[in-house]
Amino acid sequence: MSKEEILERMEKAIVEGNKNEAEALAKEAIKERMDLNEVIDKGYVPGIQKVGDLWEKGEYFLPELITSAECMKGAMRILQPELEKAQISTKSKGKVVIGTVEGDIHDIGKNLVASMLAANGFQVIDLGADVKLEKFIEKAEAENGDFICLSALLTTTMLGQKKVIEILKEKNLAGRYKVLVGGAPVNQKWADDIGANGYGENAMIAVKIAKKLVGE
Amino acid sequence: MSGPVEKIENFKVEFDDKRILRLIGYRKRPIEIKEPIKRLITEERKKLDYLLHPASIYTIIDYAETNKHPVFKDAEKVAICICTIGPELEEEIKKLMEKNEMTRALILDALGSEGAEEVAIQSDRILAMKAREMNLWPSKRFSPGYGIWDIKEQQFIFRLLPAADIGVRLTESCMMVPRKSVSFRINFYKEQKLSTRRHSPPVS
Repeated sequence: MSKEEILERMEKAIVEGNKNEAEALAKEAIKERMDLNEVIDKGYVPGIQKVGDLWEKGEYFLPELITSAECMKGAMRILQPELEKAQISTKSKGKVVIGTVEGDIHDIGKNLVASMLAANGFQVIDLGADVKLEKFIEKAEAENGDFICLSALLTTTMLGQKKVIEILKEKNLAGRYKVLVGGAPVNQKWADDIGANGYGENAMIAVKIAKKLVGE
Repeated sequence: MSGPVEKIENFKVEFDDKRILRLIGYRKRPIEIKEPIKRLITEERKKLDYLLHPASIYTIIDYAETNKHPVFKDAEKVAICICTIGPELEEEIKKLMEKNEMTRALILDALGSEGAEEVAIQSDRILAMKAREMNLWPSKRFSPGYGIWDIKEQQFIFRLLPAADIGVRLTESCMMVPRKSVSFRINFYKEQKLSTRRHSPPVS
């Protein structure tokens, strides 16, 4: 199989949500000593971009997006050790610290956003659910993050999103991080009122906003 | 006087395919669900045979035994209920997420939400029937966290009912574990009100 054929099949595997194929091709690329940055940029990334386009056109829905993100993650799990071994750094669109705020144990929505961000080239640090508000900031500081993403599924816990932004202001860190908020009771007005940089109504919109905020 | 605490376990949970599809993100009517997704839905549904353990627990108390919160005003009696589908489904979701099986996790989560809601609907019907047997008018069901009934009122519900008997507990922030659980009240009134249901109570 030629290099071009492999790259084409990688793109197709992501678009079709074929995890076995995406992973097998990652192994093939390593075996064939292909340029792994090229593999990512010209094989897998066009696939995930196409998936985003299909979602925009209303042809793909959340399950297809997530399946493609799973494929991307599966392929990256195979490529990552090789990239590290060869000390090849991959391009990251930004470092994201994400979690569900203190007092809230819901995590599936947050996990979907984390997967979609990772599939779209962001480096994701997932703190899990019921995360102490100070911890978001501590982690973002320690990891030199770019984004803080706060998920809340209840009207009571969404107040934690506001509190994180207040703590950032108290610490003179307002503007240092882009804060994105999401969750069932959250809306654009809430995001505007508390001074968040963006509101992700769903996982794909969260990716779109994050990309826009990094100038894409 | 308050009635005894009753437990219901013999639920037959039916799933509405359209609602499941909407819950997993097919908000607009898709032309066609793709085969791989269809297959995942079928496979996850099969797991429900061993992952779903629906149960509910309820009691019916006199107004005097409530904490006199304004939501109970004018009620003759109040039915308090906690429903769950058990912890197994959530444990499976966690495992799936750890294995990077996010689509399956999403589908199972939707099935769990729908399952818990179905248990609540069936429990609600039973309690509305009880109200009618008492010649009282049942209100709709309301859960803490909606309107003026603050989420903290979960503590009142959990003081009344031995929720541990159906495997449900309350976190410090008043969330229920397993998450796929529902708690609610139904007020029973002597007379028909705007908030009561249309069906008249049986004539005594």
